[in-house]
Amino acid sequence: MPLLFPEEDASDVRRRYKPDVIKGDMDSIRKEVLDFYRSLGTEIIDKSHDQDTTDLHKCITYIRDFAPDVNKSSQLCILVAGALGGRYDHEMGNLNVLYCFSALRIVLLSDDSLIYLLPRTHHHEIHIQTSVEGPHCGLIPIGVPSRSSTTTGLRWNLNNTEMRFGGLISSSNIVVGEKVTVQSDTDLLWTISIKKL
Amino acid sequence: MDLMHHSSTFLLPTIPLHHRPSLTYALVVLNQTLPRFAPLLWKHAQLRLCADGGANRVFDEMPLLFPEEDASDVRRRYKPDVINGDMDSIRKEVLDFYRSLGTKIIDKSHDQDTTDLHKCITYIWDFAPDANKSSLCILVAGALGGRYDHEMGNLNVLYCFSSLRIVLLSDDSLIYLLPRTHHHEIHIQTSVEGPHCGLIPIGVPSRSSTTTGLQWNLNNTEMRFGGLISSSNIVVGEKVTVQSDTDLLWTISIKKL
Repeated sequence: MPLLFPEEDASDVRRRYKPDVIKGDMDSIRKEVLDFYRSLGTEIIDKSHDQDTTDLHKCITYIRDFAPDVNKSSQLCILVAGALGGRYDHEMGNLNVLYCFSALRIVLLSDDSLIYLLPRTHHHEIHIQTSVEGPHCGLIPIGVPSRSSTTTGLRWNLNNTEMRFGGLISSSNIVVGEKVTVQSDTDLLWTISIKKL
Repeated sequence: MDLMHHSSTFLLPTIPLHHRPSLTYALVVLNQTLPRFAPLLWKHAQLRLCADGGANRVFDEMPLLFPEEDASDVRRRYKPDVINGDMDSIRKEVLDFYRSLGTKIIDKSHDQDTTDLHKCITYIWDFAPDANKSSLCILVAGALGGRYDHEMGNLNVLYCFSSLRIVLLSDDSLIYLLPRTHHHEIHIQTSVEGPHCGLIPIGVPSRSSTTTGLQWNLNNTEMRFGGLISSSNIVVGEKVTVQSDTDLLWTISIKKL
């Protein structure tokens, strides 16, 4: 964080950007970092005994179950930085978290792209913020083939179209305008590029 | 069911002479930062292709991997055999430079239906004699990271060409398909890869997968997105075996040397 505010004092920046919770199996966090945030009042939740779930999974579980001030209804949206890139098995594990918690809004973000799940239980309207995202986008049937998907608002729309790995998936698509609609018989992954500003 | 052998010998400084399987390597460079071991992949490959902007990467970044050498010498030494793609990313100076050195330029700008990687794989597929296809292994640098829809499109290429050996490589990981048509033996090159690995049922759930050689083996186990997938697994020893009712994606970490 201090590197993103080079004109400010590093300590000031660190105090301002103090996490509410640090959670996980604690095998990566440096002791000095842990002590620093603990002294500032950050809640430390050590889950080193739980090797069955990823760190992201643990955090999503915490937010869903224990965060008292966070609204658990459909108004909750969990933004995740750092879920993409790096070790590929980690990236896939993080992607799977979206499918495991398909009733929650979870957005995975990198410098280049954002991705989230469009559950099959709903029709979807995606309002494109053209100042910050697009135009490159895709709809990906990760877990299960889609027998029928339909869209509007894309350069190459789907019209009751089948999609599957080994066949057609919608990548290198383009948003046209400011609204995209999607309906499908399966959970689809939506991805859109983030503009370099 | 036939056995298929896999081994990341392309990450070794030299490939042992009597190593099985004996493979011919082709390298495809896509438009992302070159992995630090790109010169090693280049050395093992008999055919080197750049997909469009991948040529920019070779031109700009190969010299950076040899800082003590003259940039022009490096560029001449690392000259692709083919540049293929829709040509909307390659810089004119780069195109002219390689063209003047004899690189074959294949302009596919009229074809907007397939990704640049797909075009390169198709080229290699058409170019390689049928007799050699089963001993061919296509190494791809720059397929992961960057735009996520591109990454997914590149992953789909593995499934579209499931009878070809294609390995996607980043600095951190390598991935390839284990087709359901075979039992698989993966010989782990412990000096350069592992121990972190995963088996991912992309595209279709797996009703039954079985492994040996992993810390958490699968035993006729179901895998699917939304349920169990094998990520954050660990290779134990030097051989992993896999059989499954579906095509699985194998991924293993690459060691930082």
